[in-house]
Amino acid sequence: MSVRAKLEEATRLRRFLREDEMKDLLRGYGVSIPRHFVVEDENDLKKLEVEFPAVLKLCSYKVLHKSDVGGVVLNIPNMKRLREELRRFRERFPGESFLVEEMARPGIEMIAGLLWDDIFGLSIMVGVGGIFTELYNDASFRVIPISRGDAEGMLDELKGRRLFEGFRGMRADREAVVDLLLRLSRLGEDLGEYIDQMDLNPIVVYEKGLIVVDAKLILKQR
Amino acid sequence: MTLLLKRWGITRHNVQGTYVMRERVASLRYVFYPRNVAIIGASRDPNKPGSVILKNVLEGPSGIEVYPVNPKAEEIMGLRCYPTVLDVPDGVDLAVIAIPAPLVPGAMKDCITKGVKAAIIISAGFGETESGKALQDELERVVHEGRTRVLGPNTFGVMMPGRINTVFYPYDKSTSPRPGNVAFITQSGAMGFLLLEKMAYYRIGISAFVSIGNKIDVDENDLIEFLIDDDSTKSIACYLESFRDGREFFEISRRVARRKPIVLLKSGVTERGARAAASHTGALAGSSAVLEGALRQAGVIGAHDEEELIDFAVALAYGKPLKGGRVAVITSAGGVAVTATDRIENTPGLKMAELSEETKDGIKTILPPFASTANPIDITATSTPEMVDGVLEELQKDDNVDVVLVFSLPQPPLPVTEELVDVITKWFRKGKPLVVGTIENRFTIDSIRTYNQRGVPVFPSITRAVKALKVLRERGRYLEASR
Repeated sequence: MSVRAKLEEATRLRRFLREDEMKDLLRGYGVSIPRHFVVEDENDLKKLEVEFPAVLKLCSYKVLHKSDVGGVVLNIPNMKRLREELRRFRERFPGESFLVEEMARPGIEMIAGLLWDDIFGLSIMVGVGGIFTELYNDASFRVIPISRGDAEGMLDELKGRRLFEGFRGMRADREAVVDLLLRLSRLGEDLGEYIDQMDLNPIVVYEKGLIVVDAKLILKQR
Repeated sequence: MTLLLKRWGITRHNVQGTYVMRERVASLRYVFYPRNVAIIGASRDPNKPGSVILKNVLEGPSGIEVYPVNPKAEEIMGLRCYPTVLDVPDGVDLAVIAIPAPLVPGAMKDCITKGVKAAIIISAGFGETESGKALQDELERVVHEGRTRVLGPNTFGVMMPGRINTVFYPYDKSTSPRPGNVAFITQSGAMGFLLLEKMAYYRIGISAFVSIGNKIDVDENDLIEFLIDDDSTKSIACYLESFRDGREFFEISRRVARRKPIVLLKSGVTERGARAAASHTGALAGSSAVLEGALRQAGVIGAHDEEELIDFAVALAYGKPLKGGRVAVITSAGGVAVTATDRIENTPGLKMAELSEETKDGIKTILPPFASTANPIDITATSTPEMVDGVLEELQKDDNVDVVLVFSLPQPPLPVTEELVDVITKWFRKGKPLVVGTIENRFTIDSIRTYNQRGVPVFPSITRAVKALKVLRERGRYLEASR
């Protein structure tokens, strides 16, 4: 099924994409994401080739904010613990699927997203991430499509732009973030008619490269 | 415009559509450069809008034929009066409609039948009121069936000094704004009137004034496209409460902002509020983040209030975009020097210039021994126009200085002298970028008017002068980046 056909179907049936669907979509646009596997029960773990530490997440068509319902366990050290956690999840969320994902190593957290604006149409956002994102409101927006110059301008506007020059031993790969924004812009240009709001949060940015750890897409209702 | 194109069965993306859009924008020439004007609702009663407008149009340049239309009069102000626009013997370029709202759709039908090229509907009592919504719907249906371009309803009118004035305001009781280089588009007639008065008071010149009213046809996007090609217009100030088509505004601005700066005051941003934040992106967008980003991307300068709107438009119309942000400050008042320095150092993109040794030595020979030759250059209370002239000359040669901020201040009890105004005007015209600041009071007000009248913008407070520097620097950056 083509990406469009999938989104058509999803829009008819649901309000948002499931995390694995969302991540497949991002991968299709060359965005780097952690290795992940959808599992239903303990049997699915047998053939799994996952490196630890791992993460277990609720992967649901019904729940959008999985951490609000306790649907995320981080830093699982080995298969034994993964099996235990999965058993607990199956009791707690009967009938649901789950995502096993390799845990990203720590880095600088950023956030990016797309948003349908009633006045200007689809817009793109980048901000400094982590738990303080909304506290400091450190984000900048542009209208899609964006040029490389626009992407650079977005980063220059951030109060946290010093993270790209190096700050207390941390440094974020500016070029990787620019590249990510251009890919998101292209995704938005192609599929804007399906997108109401999209979050890539957190994006872990390293000195070299980045990885999108979690992502949500809220579909535009017709 | 979008509606108009739909009416023609054309989208703006095909070649033919683009062509027709240009034609539709070009058709606005009948609003600003009509060969003749019919005043529907012309009146002998000096208190009626139809009388005021007739008078204002008649005071415009000769050569514009004027046809009063009023079924109850034979002759008004010495002109033959016609019962309806259909009775006017000639083809009509522009009709100005100032009659009670319920009569407007009928008069508009006549204009369309007559083949009138453009109409300005001054009458109020349409979509801006609850009871007028149905009437506006009716008027829209009439307008969208014809090819007459319509400005309004509920507009305060149009003014191009020396060309046309359909503004419904008695200029025998006030001063009309002078011809100049700022075009001013406003969605609120009252805001338009208040700022026109302010500009006239300070003798700031305008190239055009347009009150767009309820914009059932002509909108801000049409006007920006039209005015960008107007030779007198060097910047466009735009006050909007809503976008007719925000995406189109964005596209047009992005296309033309390199040629002429557009300054926008968009009110009502706080009203919109954050959308139900199902996402972090939605929460971060708040009420104005997308607007701010879109404006920056399009090269439009955002203003936060009416003062910034006019100041920025004036600075950009008359001043030079700055290639760098290093500022030299000249003043005769120590407090002004220190405060301006603080404001400059706290403004991103600006900093105080480090003067070269040659410049300092040069300045030392001009100023009294106790004056400061470092930046800010405090000439002290013994300041003379010759000293200011000498310092400005020295600064021209200094490559460490991108722009000079000179404060034009009086030596009480005397007001600012004409000599000082002459010196500063001379360097504004021939030298490196210069911004003039002052503190408005009775010793400076006359000079403020003189400067403005000469096309030398003057900013009457420290904050406003530094903001003008900032906006000129942003413009310079934008032009560099979009080259």
